[in-house]
Order: sequence, then C-alpha cells, then structure tokens
Amino acid sequence: MKTRPQIVGVLAASFAIGVALPPRASADISDEQFNQLKDLVTQQGQTLKKQDQRIDQLETVHDQDQKVHDQDQNRIHELEQQLNETHSIATNAVQKAEAAAQVQPASPAAFAGPAATHNFSMVGDAEVQFGKASGSSSAFALADFAPIFLFRGGDNTLFEAGFDIMLQNGSHGPGGSGGSSTSVNLSFAQLDYLLNDYITVVGGDMVLPLGTYSERAAGWLNKIPDDPMVRDILPGSGVGMQLRGAIPICESGQMLTYSVYGANGPSSIDGSGTSGNLDLGGNVGDTPNWHVHPSGGGRIGWFMPWKPHYDLELGLSGQSGEWDDSGSHLWSAAVLDAALHISPFFEVKGEYINTWVGTDDIGTYHPRGWWLQAAYKFAGLDLDLPVINDVELVGRYDTLSDGLGTQTDRSTLGYVYYISNTLLFEGDYEWLHGNDAHNGFVFQLSYGF
Amino acid sequence: MKHLHSFKLRLRAGIGVAVIVTVIYAVSGALVIGADTTSAGAKAADKKPQKKEAKKLTGSELYAINCNRCHAERYPTEFNSAQWKTLMTHMRVRANLPAKQAKEILKYLQEDSGD
Repeated sequence: MKTRPQIVGVLAASFAIGVALPPRASADISDEQFNQLKDLVTQQGQTLKKQDQRIDQLETVHDQDQKVHDQDQNRIHELEQQLNETHSIATNAVQKAEAAAQVQPASPAAFAGPAATHNFSMVGDAEVQFGKASGSSSAFALADFAPIFLFRGGDNTLFEAGFDIMLQNGSHGPGGSGGSSTSVNLSFAQLDYLLNDYITVVGGDMVLPLGTYSERAAGWLNKIPDDPMVRDILPGSGVGMQLRGAIPICESGQMLTYSVYGANGPSSIDGSGTSGNLDLGGNVGDTPNWHVHPSGGGRIGWFMPWKPHYDLELGLSGQSGEWDDSGSHLWSAAVLDAALHISPFFEVKGEYINTWVGTDDIGTYHPRGWWLQAAYKFAGLDLDLPVINDVELVGRYDTLSDGLGTQTDRSTLGYVYYISNTLLFEGDYEWLHGNDAHNGFVFQLSYGF
Repeated sequence: MKHLHSFKLRLRAGIGVAVIVTVIYAVSGALVIGADTTSAGAKAADKKPQKKEAKKLTGSELYAINCNRCHAERYPTEFNSAQWKTLMTHMRVRANLPAKQAKEILKYLQEDSGD
C-alpha cells in the first residue's frame, strides 16, 4: 500500500528533474545511450505495473481479511452475550442454592439407621431334658427354646433380645400339680451403643452384671443343667441403663473390666416392706410396684491370662436400692466371682453371694450362699479313645441359706459328652441336703446355634 | 422433714451418678488420646533399634484366651463375614472385651469365614 505513492513520487521527481535540467548535454547523448535509458524506463514501467497488480492482490486479500475480522468480531460479541447469560444463570442458581440451604437444618442429625452395613442374625440354644427326682416319676421334664435376636445397624449399634420359651411338665410327686405349662419369657432386650473403645452404653432390659453366671449362662454353656441354687436370690435382668467396657493392660491380654448401671431393681409384691414380699423380677410399671428410687450397681473385674487357656479372673459386683413402695427398706447384694483355667482341659469357677433385705417385720435378713464348680476334659489324658476324649467330668457344690432359717446344700456329679462343638449330651446326679430335699438325676441334650 | 431428707438422698445419688459418669467418660477420653499418642510414639520408636519387641497377641491367640473360657470353640466357617461382625459386637458387650482385641479376633474369624 505505501510503496505505490513512493514509486510514483520517484518517477515524478525524475520527470521533473529531467524537464528542469537544461538540455546542455543533448548533444552529448548518443542514440545508444538514449535507447538504454528508454529500456530502463520501460523496465521500470513494467516493474511498476507488476507492483500495482501485487498491490491489487494484497488489497483483495486485505478486504477478505477485513470481512473475516468483522465476522470474528460479531462471533466474539455473540459469545460475550452467551457468557453473560450463562453467568446470570449461574448466579441465580447460587442464590437459589443459598436460599435453599438457609431453609434446611444447619446441622442435620447423623444418619444412624440401618444402612447397607446392617445385619440381622439369630443365635441361641435349645434343650430337651429328661429327669427323675426321688418320690416322683421319671419323664421328659422340659423342652426349651431360647433364641437371641441380634440386629446390628452399622458399626456401633446393636439391638439384642433373648427369649426363653419353655414347655415344662408338672410333677406328679408329693406336692406336684401335674399337667404341663408353656412359658414365654423375655430374658433381656437391650440396645448397645459402642461410644468409643472404652465405653459401651446399654439401655433396656439388661442382663445384670452381678457375678458372671447370668451373663455367660446358656443351656449349652452350663456344664450342669440346673443353675446354682444361690442364683435364685439375685435378679437376672433389670430395666435401666448401663455403662460398661474394658481397659486392656499391656499387650498380654490382661484387662480391667467395669460395669456401672442404674435399674429399677427389686420391688414388693404387695407394695409393703414385710418379709416374703420381695419381688426380684424388678418392675417396669408405676403401680402398684413402684418405689421412689431406682437401684444402682456395678461390677469391676480383673482378667489375667498368662498364655492361651491359662488364666485367672476375679470380680466384685453389687447392687443396692429401695424395694418397698414407701422406700423405707433397702435390698442390697454383693457378689464375689472367680474363675481359673489351667490348660484347655481344667477349670474351676465359683461365686459367693450375700444379700441384705430390710423389712418391717423381722429387720434385715441375709439370703446368701455360694457355689464352686470344677471340670476336667479327658482329652487332657490323651488316651486315644474317641468317646472318652470327648467327655468332660463335672462336679459342683452349691449351698443356699434363705436367711429365714432354711439351709440347703447340694452336691452334683455329672458329665458332658461333646457330640460336636455345639451339640452336647449332659447328665448328672444331685445329692440334696436340706428340708424336703430330694435326690435326682437329669439328662439333657443341648444345642447351641 | 421427711421430704427434705428424701431430697438430700436424691441430690446425693444424682451427684454420685454424675461424678461416676464424668469420671468414666474423662478416663476413656484420656485413654483414647493416650492410645493415639502411643501409636505416634510407636511409629517414632520404630526408627530406633530395640533390644526386644513386645510380642503382640494374634487374633487366634486372643480368640483362644477370651472365647474358649466360656464356651466350646466356634469355627470361622460357621458364620459369614457379616454375621461374625454382629456376633463379635454382641460378644464385645457381653464379655466386656477390649475394642482392639475384639477387632483382632473378628479379623481372624473373617479371614476364613463361610462367605
């Protein structure tokens, strides 16, 4: 674009100079020189013409570029408009989201319901028992089904409920009523929440940690079909809340365990505080068995294993609270429990239980007693006799004083034959010493599932 | 006078329960923090040569120690992995098992569970 005026200028200047200069040398320029000059001018004219063509081409390209540029500008403008619209939509969306967030709860409750991690399981045990006591006829005395339903919701929550459904024959002996009866009892129904590694919160109808027998008892766990008599002076469960857990000591498996709870506790059958009206079943209603304050209790235990199957456990537990409606009298209990394992074949365990019952009529009386049980598995003899190797010999001595003048002692000798790890055939003979006591034998088939 | 006596009893019982719960929670919190610190300390100590490392009990050993003292052995294949988790939660509460030991036992049982 700029070369054309320059060239025109140069030619114009040359022409002007040529006209202006005096033709003093005309006589000196030969035809040859003139022709050379003429050719030179002709060549310059051709060059100028080519440059003009080139300029025209460039101008054409420039016009095309200008059109493309204008199109690009229009496109940019359109895109800017679209961007503005998008930005506007996004801004509106953010404003709407912020408005919605203000409507929703700022701190919604953590999800604690059954997620994909929940699981429902059923465990438990079943028994059938055949027995005979002196003075009564032999019979299949009972059939028992004791399921435990477990529902785990996530990692920290477990609901568990145990039932005891039993068909039991009446006795035809002296004082017996005959017939049969079916009972359905709720053994426990509790919600467990694992608060952290050291605390579990338990609420509901709880198995009470008075000693260890109730918590670790089941038909296929007890090596003797009958419970120790002295367990009858303690409640098996109670409605309330509990904190429990364990604190490990070193890496040896040693630990301290604890349980602290509040439960309704025993009550009075007729509301009074007279002896004979103590109801260990506790209460869950407000009339007529309702005393002023719930009971408090707990257990602390120490478990010391020195290698697998060699361990010692000691525990001390207790409970105390009002039992009559007026709240004038306390029912209290203290339990000392111990268990020793020496090898996988030998164990000794027992409990000492003492209770105090305040009354209106006879003051405070002391139902109490203890039991001691030893068991030995013949597998420890390594006799290479298949049946003998699966037999465990069991002996127990238990005693009960009702605190009102009656003392009962019982010696039991029996066996457990392990058909499998969960199917057991047990049998024992019991010698009873006390008022109106009858010796007898019991056979029981137990299955744990 | 009797109402006043009853109020005092309730107040004492309430304070007692509150103190017990507070102490248990505080101690557990300290143990949780202590466990974390111990864990961090253990990592640091790993870098240093030690004369003798304390033997850590395996899941099978903990199973033998804690479970067989109350009942005959249950085999891992008797339940599937999810059932074992439920059962171990149940047993952790019932038998007052420490959390870490319960987790080790669960790991041992789930490795060969009947899935």
